[in-house]
This record gives sequence, C-alpha cells and structure tokens, in this order.
Amino acid sequence: MGYQFDFTVLQPYLPTFGRGLLVTFQLAGVCLLLGFTAGLLLALLRSSRIAPLVWPSAVFIEIFRNAPVLVQLVWFYYAFPVLIGATMSAFAAAVLALSLNTAAFSAELFRGGIQSIHRGQWEAGRALGMSNLTLMRRIILPQAIKRMIPPLTNRAIELTKMTALASTIAVPELLYQGRLINAVTFRPIESYTVVAVIYLIILWAGTILVNRLERRLGESD
Amino acid sequence: MWDNFPTLLSGLSGSLQITGLALLFGLLIGLLVAPLRMSSRPWLSAPAGVYINVFRNTPPLVQLFWFFYAFPILFDVSFRPFEAAVVTLSLQSSAFFAEVFRAGIQSIERGQWEASKAIGMGYFTMMRRIILPQAVKRMVLAFFERAIELFKTTTLVSTIAFADLLYQATVVTSQTFRPLEVYTVVAAMYILIITAASLGVRRYEMRLARADA
Repeated sequence: MGYQFDFTVLQPYLPTFGRGLLVTFQLAGVCLLLGFTAGLLLALLRSSRIAPLVWPSAVFIEIFRNAPVLVQLVWFYYAFPVLIGATMSAFAAAVLALSLNTAAFSAELFRGGIQSIHRGQWEAGRALGMSNLTLMRRIILPQAIKRMIPPLTNRAIELTKMTALASTIAVPELLYQGRLINAVTFRPIESYTVVAVIYLIILWAGTILVNRLERRLGESD
Repeated sequence: MWDNFPTLLSGLSGSLQITGLALLFGLLIGLLVAPLRMSSRPWLSAPAGVYINVFRNTPPLVQLFWFFYAFPILFDVSFRPFEAAVVTLSLQSSAFFAEVFRAGIQSIERGQWEASKAIGMGYFTMMRRIILPQAVKRMVLAFFERAIELFKTTTLVSTIAFADLLYQATVVTSQTFRPLEVYTVVAAMYILIITAASLGVRRYEMRLARADA
C-alpha cells in the first residue's frame, strides 16, 4: 500500500464538484416534489372503493416498486422516446423515472399512514356530516402526515442516493462530475473518495435527522 | 429479438450468480460485524458502527466505482468487473445484514435475557439456546426482503461491463437497434421475477403472523 495520496490535484476542480452537487440537489428536489404529489394521489386512488381506480393504481405501484431503478431509468431514456416518437433530455428521463419510482414507494407510505388512523375518527367525521374529501383533508391527513414524516424523510434520503444512477445516462450530477474529473486528472482514488465522502456527509446527516424525528414524534404520541 | 433470448438468459444467470455470492458473503461478514456493533467496548462497537453507516449512507453505484477504479490501485491488486461487483455488493449487504441481526437480537424481550441469567446460563449458552432461536425467526423475513433488494442492485454492475441481464440488454439493443422491445422485455423479466419473489415473501409473512397469533 505504497500509494501517495494527493488531494491537492483536485483543488482546481472544487467548483466542478459543487456544480455536480447542485444538479444532484435539483434532481432530488424536483423528483421529491413530483414523486410525493403523485404518490399521495395514487394512495387516494388505491384506497378508494372504486374498482376501476383501485386496480390500475395497484398495478402501477407494484410495477414501479418491483422493477430495479436502473432498469426504469434506462427504459425511460432509451425506450420511452421511441414509444412516444420524441426525443428526451437525460435530465427529463431521470426526473420521470425517479419521480415515478418515488411515487410508487411513497404511495404505500401514504396509504399505510391513512389506514393507521383509527376507524372511530372516520365514523365521527361522517357522523358530523363531513364529505369524504373534507374528512380526509381536515381530520385524517393532518394526523396521518405527522406519522408519515419519518418514513417520508427516509424516502427522500433513498431518493438522493438513487440520483447517483442518473450519472449512467450522463446527467451531470455529482458522481458524473467525479468521473469526468477522474478522466482529466487520472486520480481515481482521490476523485471517487471525494465523491463518496460528500454523499456520506449528506446522507448520514439525513439518517441522523430521521432517527431524531422518529424519537421526537414517538414521544409526542 | 427472440433469436437473442439466449444472450439475455446468460445475462440473467450472471445476475443470479452475483446475487447468490453477495448474499452468502454478506451474511457471513454481517454475522461477524453484528456482535462487534453490539459490544459494550467502544473500541469494538465504534468502528463497526462507522463501517455500517458508511455502506448504508453512500450510493451503491459510488461504492461500486470506488471498488472498481480506486481500490485496485490503492492495494495494488487487479479486479475484474465480476470481482469488484461481488466485493462491493457483499460488503454493502453485510452492513444491512449486521443491522438486521442486531435488530432481531435486540427485539427479544428483556425478560428472556433476565430469565436466562437467573437460571445461571452463560452468555453463549443463552444466545444459542434462548435468544437466537427466537431472533432467527424474526430475521428470516428481513433476509428475504434484503435478497430481493440485492437482486435489484445487481443491475448496477452493468455499468462496469459485467455481463448481467441489463448489460446483455444493452448488447442486444446495439445489435438489433430495437431499444423499445429489448428494454421492455428485460424490464418485464425483472418485474416478473421480483414480483413473484415478493409475493412469496408476503405469503410467508402472513403465515408467520398467523403462527404468532
């Protein structure tokens, strides 16, 4: 192990790492917003009692939970444009794949949260003459969302981890920039170690936050 | 497309090989790391904790690139894609398994520990005869779920040109110029296998729940 580490060669490329990190956050942010919104919608469809809504949403959720994310990504980048007869930027393909994947996983979290609310709450709401939508918005969701915060934050961490896959279709996020920097400097150890450490700091901080949230929300219950 | 199906099947066999090996080594290393993590001596539990958190809190693709491009230079070895894939996925799984073992053991009620000590059992006898037999039952489910996740993760090895199912799909696509058909068939293969496995796990879960009730 006589390797001489030299991290100083990477110094000129710090802004490049920074740009990559920014794209990572952008991708994660957009997919989080779209994914959670679509996830909530899917959860509502899936738990409605209308069969033509329940089945398609259940199948959608199963497919996107069970296909490997990289396969989804590759499919949306290489196959989907052929299907719709239009070209698609790498970033758009990544947004589509990661958002739909997040939607499917978060739909199950939303559904679990909604179902965890005691039946009595539903019955009481109906007894007061509330419609299903009002009941959902004013009684069920406010309680359910509190319980869902830790698992949803967990999902956000998973999503951030997944954005690294977008490097395979040349979305210029952190890992992709790391590969470029390696190609220019011929310093794989330093380049990939810096990339790994940046991810580690962000994701570990996120994990600690989730554990705290879980404990605090657990106490307030 | 169908002429190329054997190519895809050979890829699937590559995916399954990596899954099997990583599962085996991951389990063995996890079994070593879990007791260290639970040790009351900080010089044992702290490094084990860092090991687990590093592998759980970095993207698997970054780990794979690190082990494929950086590790061989650092330790002056040469890694073929297959070896880099097995090493990365084994270590990554071991971190998850270590946490599964820990959660399983710690989920056994205090009373069981106290009762075993009260009747004069030593630590190892207690583990072997009281704690583990109960904990293992709770761990089996997490083990299968992890195995499914691992199978999904093996798709990443296509990026370092190991001939798994996804990589073979890329090969077949470049020969046939039919991305839509090829990637759809491959996606369907993954979905079929993983859905079948998940259904099996879910059924097993229900049986366990019934046995506990």
